[in-house]
Amino acid sequence: MDPQSQTTSLQRLQNVEKRIVRVLELAGGVMDEMASQSGPRKEIANNHCSEFMQLIKDIQFALREEIKSACEYRPFEKCDYVPRISNEICYKKLEYVIAQLDEMKQTMEGYRNAA
Amino acid sequence: MDGDIEISIDKLPIKRLDAIEENGTERFPSDVDYDEKRLNLIRRIDFGWAVEREDRSKKRKSEGTTSANESTTTNQHTGQWQSLVENLQFAQQELSVIIDLINTVQANDAVTVAGMTRPKQLPNELLSDLAVSTATKLQCFWHLGKYFKQSAAALEKQVAREARFYGALIRLQQNWKVKRHRLVAAASGNAGFFIDLFYNTLYDTSVSLRPSSMSTIPIEHDAAGMLAVNVPPNSCRSLRFEFLGSHSANNVRRSGETNMHAFSEDSSTETNKEHANDDECVRKTHSLLREVHRAIFDEQVFELVSREACNSSLSVNLTGIQENYLRLSINQGASVSISLLLSSQDNKTDIVSGTNSSETETIPSELSDWSKFREGKDNVKKLGFPNRISFEIYLQQLFHEYVFVRAKDKTSSSFRSLISGQQSKDNLNILDHFCMSLAHSIFSNKVLSELESLVCRTPYVQLISHPTWHSRTSSWTLSMKVPQSILHVGSQILSSGISNVKNVRSQFWSKVVVIDESISVEGVGDLNVVGLFNGKPESICPINRYECDLADLPIILLQQVASQVIQWLHEEALTVGIKVTRDFLSLAFELDHGEIASLVAHVDPEDTRGCISWWLMMDDGITENHKLHPDLSIGESESRKFLGHLSLDVLYSTLLDFVNLCSC
Repeated sequence: MDPQSQTTSLQRLQNVEKRIVRVLELAGGVMDEMASQSGPRKEIANNHCSEFMQLIKDIQFALREEIKSACEYRPFEKCDYVPRISNEICYKKLEYVIAQLDEMKQTMEGYRNAA
Repeated sequence: MDGDIEISIDKLPIKRLDAIEENGTERFPSDVDYDEKRLNLIRRIDFGWAVEREDRSKKRKSEGTTSANESTTTNQHTGQWQSLVENLQFAQQELSVIIDLINTVQANDAVTVAGMTRPKQLPNELLSDLAVSTATKLQCFWHLGKYFKQSAAALEKQVAREARFYGALIRLQQNWKVKRHRLVAAASGNAGFFIDLFYNTLYDTSVSLRPSSMSTIPIEHDAAGMLAVNVPPNSCRSLRFEFLGSHSANNVRRSGETNMHAFSEDSSTETNKEHANDDECVRKTHSLLREVHRAIFDEQVFELVSREACNSSLSVNLTGIQENYLRLSINQGASVSISLLLSSQDNKTDIVSGTNSSETETIPSELSDWSKFREGKDNVKKLGFPNRISFEIYLQQLFHEYVFVRAKDKTSSSFRSLISGQQSKDNLNILDHFCMSLAHSIFSNKVLSELESLVCRTPYVQLISHPTWHSRTSSWTLSMKVPQSILHVGSQILSSGISNVKNVRSQFWSKVVVIDESISVEGVGDLNVVGLFNGKPESICPINRYECDLADLPIILLQQVASQVIQWLHEEALTVGIKVTRDFLSLAFELDHGEIASLVAHVDPEDTRGCISWWLMMDDGITENHKLHPDLSIGESESRKFLGHLSLDVLYSTLLDFVNLCSC
């Protein structure tokens, strides 16, 4: 599972969450309409409700897709901890070599200045 | 009369027997009260028709009301009977009132109405009740609407917070193992995630390692809801390898060490650049995890080292052990320590006494003075100690390769042969190999310094190092090249005169190979075709190869070089046509009148001006001393002249001078 699809899957789930928030807002709006003194305005209430239902459908669809496409849980079979340590060791070697080269350079400059 | 006449006969108001028992007791009916008499009279009246009408109206009413608080229709029947009973009670009360009224009217009393039951509600009252309940329902709706909107806002914030958290967690998951405790998740408010940094080697059950306390790192939320990883500041240790007694010169703080700041103090300022902050946070967490991972590896290495050191082995001598500290002594009389230090302790210097080295002064670690640093380094060079960092890295690499990498590749034999040397046993002792490499390194440094001092003082010899790619083998070559000028001159002479020359050797090598701690010296020369020139057997230079130890090395090498010079001169003389005889370190020229002039080489490793010096000895043939031994105690005399430290050019020109003196 490459990182690219991971982020988009995460984005899809985040969109689902945003839709849930929107659904809640619509529910609040409908309640407000019902609570108004002059009675609910039918068109607004209808619009809210239809948008609500549409969002619920979208949420359900997205969740179904995500659940179907979620891969099986494989217990870390490609663990890279060992090469990671090799990497750290190589890094230390590089540091050491660079330090040696710097010393050589300084020695050379010392001789050049002396000459 | 058409209708039926019903006659009811009253009982005479005399006491009649109710029952008589066997034993003669008589039972009379109990006296009836006056009220009861009246009640009995009333009961005899049939109110069935009125009751039925009441019931019907009650039924209609209960079907008509749609109150939300009323129970369902299953309770309707019990409600009916209850209302029947109630209505009868009301009726009884009314009748009693009426009867009282009649009595009092009969008694001519004034009548006042005491109280009345609540009459049935009028429609407008019903409507006002309905209005009130409707208003409360509207209020409820309004509250509900507010509640929904508030929870939508709160959910949005929560979603945003969690998006940051899980986004960062996914980025961490690309590199580290993220796991989750389900029980912890239920218990605390946290999600129960943690990072598992432990990797066990699967190679050998005997090599299995305990997971350290640092291997599981909990992931927490910081104040802003973002991912935060807290590691106690002084928990990471690093492996340190030191030579006791000279560690001060090598104690330069590595530039790449990351400081273990408390990463829990996040930047609390949540500015618009939240993404930049998130990136920073993730990056910091990455480097923190790297540090801990490396610390865990160092701890594992230390544990393996101490296990191997505690098992008795050939070349590893454990001389001291403490918590997180091991001291070993290596063959060359050096002591090394392997320890696990906290990162903050790297700059401390310990004063260690009782080592075999003569270097006991301590130099402060924060060296700002370059000259002092160099002095320390020179001292280290005298003792032959290699750079401690390189061996620290080597120790880590050996254990890593053997324990972790090769675990998957059990059939690789090259590494086994590397470690176990000649014996291919199954129990590979890494620490043995390491200590032997260390001993070899110290020894070969000493060899190298000897070689360098020799070559410094012998201008026509070059020192070449050969990489052997084996940690217990080193090799060098002392090479002597005949300068081009001489070759030209030689070729001129040759072209003018003698024809039978092919190739004169122009390069001479001496090879020094150190394996573990034994030195072998080999003298190699170029291909010798000149050997066929005069048919003289001594022209074929044998390749000498022998072992020696460090003390004898300079003398042997110098003698080899000097003999190579003599060899070269000998060959050159032959090509030029001088009659010469060759001894080990001397070249004897036959002059006119039977005199013998010898050029004798003298080697002295201690001579600061040059290692190889030349003497000229004259032997007039009369004295018995045919073999001319350079005897410095005699000093210069008429028959010995000290020529000094000559270069190859001068030697060659000296040779050419002899051409004139010799009889050809």
